[in-house]
Amino acid sequence: MGNLLSYFSGLFGNKERRILILGLDGAGKTTILYRLQVSEVVTTIPTIGFNVETVQYKNLKFQVWDLGGQTSIRPYWRCYYSNTDAIIYVIDSMDRDRIGISKHELVSMLEEDELKNAVLCVFANKQDLEGCMSVSEVANALGLTSLKNRKYQIFKTSAIKGTGLNEAMDWLANSLQQKK
Amino acid sequence: MWTLLTGLYQYLTQKDDYYILIVGLDNAGKTTYLEQTKTKYCPNYKMMNPSKITTTVGCNVGTIDIGNIRLNFWDLGGQEELQSLWDKYYADCHGIIYIIDSADRQRLEESWLTFDKMIQSEQLTNVPLLVSCNKQDLEQCMTVPEIKRTFNRSTAKIGVRDCMVLACSALSGDGINESINWMKDCIVRNSTIRPPKRQDIA
Repeated sequence: MGNLLSYFSGLFGNKERRILILGLDGAGKTTILYRLQVSEVVTTIPTIGFNVETVQYKNLKFQVWDLGGQTSIRPYWRCYYSNTDAIIYVIDSMDRDRIGISKHELVSMLEEDELKNAVLCVFANKQDLEGCMSVSEVANALGLTSLKNRKYQIFKTSAIKGTGLNEAMDWLANSLQQKK
Repeated sequence: MWTLLTGLYQYLTQKDDYYILIVGLDNAGKTTYLEQTKTKYCPNYKMMNPSKITTTVGCNVGTIDIGNIRLNFWDLGGQEELQSLWDKYYADCHGIIYIIDSADRQRLEESWLTFDKMIQSEQLTNVPLLVSCNKQDLEQCMTVPEIKRTFNRSTAKIGVRDCMVLACSALSGDGINESINWMKDCIVRNSTIRPPKRQDIA
């Protein structure tokens, strides 16, 4: 019976997809979350803990978790990994100094078994700033080319200006719909 | 005992893993090609609506099984900036499928230059090359002989590698089976030089 019900709810495509927004502190995760939800730039303070919102995009509902990115609370990311459909990994494209740390966090995260089937979406954020890293620089710096068994896509975004986010959501919606 | 039996079972059913790289200029139809391949070879696979396929900036993956062979595909973004990432995959791949947009006469030269540059990589010395002339469903597209005329300039650089130019249409699915079969045969023949990756048995 339960199967039948979930089959029908699947038909209408209103199953909530679980998405995690991760990345180092100051990358712009919270700004992205609220930009997605209310299309506004909100003033944020460093997240200690998490923000969670439901975002409706076309006929899909996403449950989006934005976890704090400071060093001391990164170990707690793993508590949220189970049943995750997609990861949005946000990096600050201006922050060349810490891209190494970002890579390290990303690599250790992707090794987790629970995230084996999650789709990876990298947001090269803060593209509104001049002199920021390009897509290929980001891909190299994060070592994305060594991901051999995972579908990933990089988006140039600017949470402040709102560019790139719709394309990214389109892509996520398509990939997740297909994964079903 | 259980471990022994499961180990034996895994050994008997394990597949040879081969990796194939799908590259080409942007908008050539690489992702559609991969989607169509998955649709043809994976039972129950529902193809993504081709109109919803967007520009790839990154990598799409796909896996198909033919007999006891498993082909893994990497479909990479083709924009000029992203071409610098292709070579990271050269060392691990067993075959290359290079996709051309046969309807885009203006960029054929650019496409050839990119191809020519790619095959000069030392890491690809023994790798079979398949040039796929995509979008043959469109009227006024270039025919295979026309495209060959441009790409023949690379003959010397191709050397003794297996190389083939085939027509296809990723949208309608024509020519995909031939391409994949050709690729598969070459890769298997080439497996003494580039051996398949075997999954580890725990």
